[in-house]
Amino acid sequence: MGSTPGFFNSTTRYVSWFGLFAFLILTFGLIWGIFFSPPDYKQGEVYRIIYIHVPSAILAESVLITMSIFGFLNLVWRVKIAGMLVRSAAPIGASFTFLALISGSIWGYPTWGTWWVWDARLTSTLLLFFIYASIIGLYSFSDNQLKGDKSISLLSIVGIAIIPIIKKSVDWWQTLHQPSTFSLTSAPSMSPEMYIPLAICVIGFYFIYIFMLIQRLRVEILYRERDTRWVGLYFQNKLEKIS
Amino acid sequence: MKHSSLTSSFDWFLLIIRRDLLISSRKLVGFITPVIFFLTIITLFPIAFGPEPNQLNLMASNIIWIAALLSSLLAIEGIFNSDYRDGTLEQILISGEPLFLIVLAKVFCHWLVAGAPIVICSLLASLFLYFSYENISVLLISLSIGSLLFSLLGALGGSLSLGKNAILSAIIVLPFSIPILILGTACVEASINNQDYVVYLMYLGSILAIGIPGLSLAIAASIRLNYE
Repeated sequence: MGSTPGFFNSTTRYVSWFGLFAFLILTFGLIWGIFFSPPDYKQGEVYRIIYIHVPSAILAESVLITMSIFGFLNLVWRVKIAGMLVRSAAPIGASFTFLALISGSIWGYPTWGTWWVWDARLTSTLLLFFIYASIIGLYSFSDNQLKGDKSISLLSIVGIAIIPIIKKSVDWWQTLHQPSTFSLTSAPSMSPEMYIPLAICVIGFYFIYIFMLIQRLRVEILYRERDTRWVGLYFQNKLEKIS
Repeated sequence: MKHSSLTSSFDWFLLIIRRDLLISSRKLVGFITPVIFFLTIITLFPIAFGPEPNQLNLMASNIIWIAALLSSLLAIEGIFNSDYRDGTLEQILISGEPLFLIVLAKVFCHWLVAGAPIVICSLLASLFLYFSYENISVLLISLSIGSLLFSLLGALGGSLSLGKNAILSAIIVLPFSIPILILGTACVEASINNQDYVVYLMYLGSILAIGIPGLSLAIAASIRLNYE
């Protein structure tokens, strides 16, 4: 992880491969899941939204974990690119969490009969979304980019430390109040015909995340170093290719 | 204040507390605003939900907790921002003393000024909301632990958003204070239903025990970031 132009140039070659992989894996997984896997014995065809919902819910948490790792690298070893990675990952994580919430509520209406339940998982996912929002808010308000990177690194580390407490307490809160009439958590053991496409979709989502992360990072590098010579040369070459 | 006699770090701890208490005693508005805000929020609930004593009695502890949380948000600005603006924070930083101790002193002081009055005022609020007297001690104990945690979290939000928009610190702090709200209201509810409430006090206390070193280190780190 050396200089930013070095990083930028080394990613140029393989970044689109990640995008291609993500596209292929996800197309394969989704087509398998939606057209070829058997319908659920209880929910019928509706359950197929699982191929979007579960991967995005998994990513919603993984993104914050990776952000805290990048944040640690940024704070302890002062890796500048790690700070940019935290910043680039935050909106992606927020979108995955949003997607998980939306797809969950679309799934919830036909199966539970309601768009929203104050279930332990839903509540903690909503809180996760608010944590992402606070991270995004923190860096949007900071005027110094390097300081902003460090602040959100710190906040993502604190966030990852507090998330277990939040999850646990939301669980208690759920059991204290009237138990929910719906039970999502007691998922029946899935058949392999459903499970394998789901796993493929999860891998595809991870590839999307890596692809978007690197793309956002490249844009961030270009934006921050817009006054340097190499960025000027880069765009000159681009323009010459077009014309 | 004699600066030459400061030998140990604990002297610094006491010095900061004395200084902050002195400053807030000269500016009594700082004491009164959170209390007034707290009582105003308390009055909003009977107005919105209707004045029936039975209904208010059911929600009394929850309302008091929400009001305490909201008024702790209001007070975040006061923890570090004035010291940041006049440069005191920078002087503390370059003094070379352990920053987390000083942070702890400031947070404790802030709790004395903005948290403890609210805990005391919750007695008045419980009168307004027809809260049962038998459980008042549980409410007071849980609220004092909770407001200390709110002060710590508020200091984190305040140090991350030094010199920035005040609403930002509220957005940072609110998701993190949910567990405290959950445990605190659960504690009082358990005591009302004659269940074991000590468990919740223990959970709150353990969060406080983790929070004091953990959060004060995080606050110290985020103050340092501002001066790099």
